Amino acid sequence: MDVDMIFKIAAIGIIVAILNQLLIRSGREDQALLTTIAGLIVALMMIITQISDLFSTIKTTFGL
Amino acid sequence: MSKEIFAICCVAIVTAVLALTIKRYNSEIALLISIGGAILILFSVIDCILSSVNQVNEILAKSQISSEYIEILLKVLGICFLTEFTCDCTKEAGMDVLTGNISLAGKIIVLMTSLPLFTQVLNTVVSLVSGT
Repeated sequence: MDVDMIFKIAAIGIIVAILNQLLIRSGREDQALLTTIAGLIVALMMIITQISDLFSTIKTTFGL
Repeated sequence: MSKEIFAICCVAIVTAVLALTIKRYNSEIALLISIGGAILILFSVIDCILSSVNQVNEILAKSQISSEYIEILLKVLGICFLTEFTCDCTKEAGMDVLTGNISLAGKIIVLMTSLPLFTQVLNTVVSLVSGT
């Protein structure tokens, strides 16, 4: 079981939240938004591969 | 096999705590964390499903039932599995419209997949009625 992935995503979330707060405090709202989007995309790419793995496994298991 | 449930429960609790912690700062990442936990849990369960499917196939090979019925049954099971997973993910995201539409689409596709069975039953009934 690959539990590390969940911790990785949580770490990305925490880092992005801290960066977001720092950038907003220093008055760079647009960069804060870009940081949030970048973190979201990184986490999404990690999840997407897992989802495609799951779907292909279901496909082969049930013969869809 | 039964020891898996401890690991699954631990993963669920850890995922819930992490997602709840992150949710205050970043709700999208919290959604991704919960989806990741769900995928982990399903991956640990899918081996059990695979072995049980193989057992069912063995039993069917011994008895003389034709395998096309069980194939349709397994397909319907897979469609329900996928639909349920996706429904839960969209419900977690708070999109009730998507949840309803996905479950409706799943029902329609299940109906379309199992339509050959209905025609088979209908043919049997017609042959029985015409026989008497």
